[in-house]
Amino acid sequence: MVPLSAYLILSAFLFATGVVGVATRRNVLIIFMSIELMLNAVNLAFVAFSRFLHSMDGQIIVLFVMTVAAAEVAVGLAIIIALFRNKETVDVAEINLMKW
Amino acid sequence: MEITLPPVDLGAITPELIVTGTALVILLVDLFLPRDRKTPLAYLSLLGLVLAFAASLPLWGRARYAFKESISLDPFSLFFSSLFLLIAALTILISTNYLEREEIHRGEYYALLLFATLGMMLLAKGMDLVVLFLGLETLSISLYTLAGFMRARLRSNESALKYLLLGAFASGFLLYGIAFLYGATGTTNLKKVAVFLGKGAPLSDPFLFIGAGLLIVGFGFKVATVPFHMWAPDVYEGAPTSVTAFMIAGTKAAAFSAFLRIFLYSLAPLKPNWSAVLWVLAVLTMTLGNVVAIAQQNIKRMLAYSSIAHAGYILVAVVAGGELGGSSILFYLLAYALMNLGAFAVVILLGQKGEENLNLPDYAGVGYRHPLPALAMAIFMFSLAGIPPTAGFMGKFYVFSAAVKAGYIGLAIIGVLNSVVSVFFYLRVTVMMYMREPRAEVGPIYTSPALAAALVIAVWGTLQLGLFPGRLLELALRSIRPLLG
Amino acid sequence: MSIELPVFYFLAAITIGAALIVVLGRNIVHCAFSLVLAFFGVAGLYVLLDAEFLAAVQVLIYVGGITILLLFAIMLTSRASGPGVRILNEQLGLSALIAGGLFFLLIYALWKGIPALAIKVPTQANVPTIGRVLMTSYVLPFEVASVLLLAALVGALILARKEKD
Repeated sequence: MVPLSAYLILSAFLFATGVVGVATRRNVLIIFMSIELMLNAVNLAFVAFSRFLHSMDGQIIVLFVMTVAAAEVAVGLAIIIALFRNKETVDVAEINLMKW
Repeated sequence: MEITLPPVDLGAITPELIVTGTALVILLVDLFLPRDRKTPLAYLSLLGLVLAFAASLPLWGRARYAFKESISLDPFSLFFSSLFLLIAALTILISTNYLEREEIHRGEYYALLLFATLGMMLLAKGMDLVVLFLGLETLSISLYTLAGFMRARLRSNESALKYLLLGAFASGFLLYGIAFLYGATGTTNLKKVAVFLGKGAPLSDPFLFIGAGLLIVGFGFKVATVPFHMWAPDVYEGAPTSVTAFMIAGTKAAAFSAFLRIFLYSLAPLKPNWSAVLWVLAVLTMTLGNVVAIAQQNIKRMLAYSSIAHAGYILVAVVAGGELGGSSILFYLLAYALMNLGAFAVVILLGQKGEENLNLPDYAGVGYRHPLPALAMAIFMFSLAGIPPTAGFMGKFYVFSAAVKAGYIGLAIIGVLNSVVSVFFYLRVTVMMYMREPRAEVGPIYTSPALAAALVIAVWGTLQLGLFPGRLLELALRSIRPLLG
Repeated sequence: MSIELPVFYFLAAITIGAALIVVLGRNIVHCAFSLVLAFFGVAGLYVLLDAEFLAAVQVLIYVGGITILLLFAIMLTSRASGPGVRILNEQLGLSALIAGGLFFLLIYALWKGIPALAIKVPTQANVPTIGRVLMTSYVLPFEVASVLLLAALVGALILARKEKD
């Protein structure tokens, strides 16, 4: 019997891993992937709560989160392409024109 | 199987339907307009906004909830809805000239702006965390594109990318907070959460704390409070100026409206806990915003840090809470929108194609070359600094007196000190305009009736609220009561 | 139901391992495929939680949609991300610290106050229930989601398409 806490701990770990990815990696696409990890962690928490609270709301919310994630990725990749046309880099450290 | 159709109350969302419909019509009409004749779309969107406002008027005083209580039609929502429609309208007025000048005049701009407005209106009306989340994301995704609208400019690309990365990151935190709130209360409906917590549910449930904490982090990113503000100056500076104006005025107000709904209403029983955190955030935000603004030479960046500081003042009012604190926030957000949009209107006015004249020395002597815009800018600077008789002064007055009355005297003093510090960089612009020699190559500026109209409205609003704040304050009080009732 | 626990551990291990590779891996294509593995792991966990429809949607959208988009982007920008490019910025230490702190804070709070929610009651069939709830209680968010997708579509097109003139 898997307790709720197991799912939540797994979710917390995934979320923390994603946060590290966003904060440390230089490649924009990896940062994207890390954000997707974070969102998956959140979805896992929602589904786990939904299961243990016997409420369908959590699962519906996950559907919406997936929708939003897909939309964000689409726009994000379009931005990266537009950026790449102007300057051939995907390294965030190089895209730092504007300081302080 | 059996499906009972839900009561679909289209009347409750008529304004939103009109805004969406206008956006769709714009996308279609755009196909038939030649490349350089997109101005009718601006008028079309203004028409849509006016119609939406008209449609929202009969909603005052109607039944309060709709769609299984996921949206609310109380004065709070309608106040903010109207505010957002105003912000959108003013933004469109200052956009047309600018877009043509910078050669990015596309129909999709107006459609995206309207989609963003739709998102904001949902943030105002939402009573369910799902609706709030979707509204926030609609707003954000539209803005990610708008920030990168000048696709040929690296600055704009960078702005859009940073905005998206940090926005998505913040959404992750927000969602996780919603998840824990859901786990603690079993529902995402704010009304049910309020009832659940009010009935003496275990207030020390760790899920509640984690959820509230994550929500504060998420909203903190979205509103650019310290220490989650790092993205704002770059994003605001790189985006097209009209989009920056919309972001500064609209997104902040929309995010705060949702924040207030969640924290002052549903999570009110937890106030002793979150108000301590917000106290610290308010102080950090005000101080850092003001101090760093002093060093800025680029006016867009200066206004960016200024908006960070103002978010801090609003947080002071959130901490104060209650009727006085809440109503002062509403007043402040309207005053803030007007003075910022006005300032940006002048910034756009004084720019030229290819050279936006965004640095302080570019403002030298403008007072003599272009007296009327300079006068308007001076009024906006005075208002931002909080000098009477402007809306900005009244706003700060209400915020700080609410803080004092609620017992947060130290906070109010810090706020006033910050205001004093801010006078320096706001007035520096005025000094530049009136007490320096104009530079040789300042060419003639081209204004359009739309830009002039926006300026007139902003100036009138700023002075009107500064001299006769009473009626708005009453409206604000009336609007905040449903939240605290 | 003793098969459940080992299955959970297995799926959790896969997901965690894959996530770590995504965040720390050197070769970006390896990271992308590792992400796919993580998505599958999460899908498996959804099945374990009686959310079969979500598991299917997870695979469709995340693996089928988002990963494909990411792979396209990797290919289109491949000149800038081959081997030899620095992959980590200077903040690994600090952010690992913060993330670790976040993680332990969450664990601590979770351990302190988990209510006894371990009872599994058989639930109704997944798909019809989701469909019904989506069309009744959540019809407004549903419609808003479609507007959101439209906005994203328009946005992506505006930013990415080639200039005609």
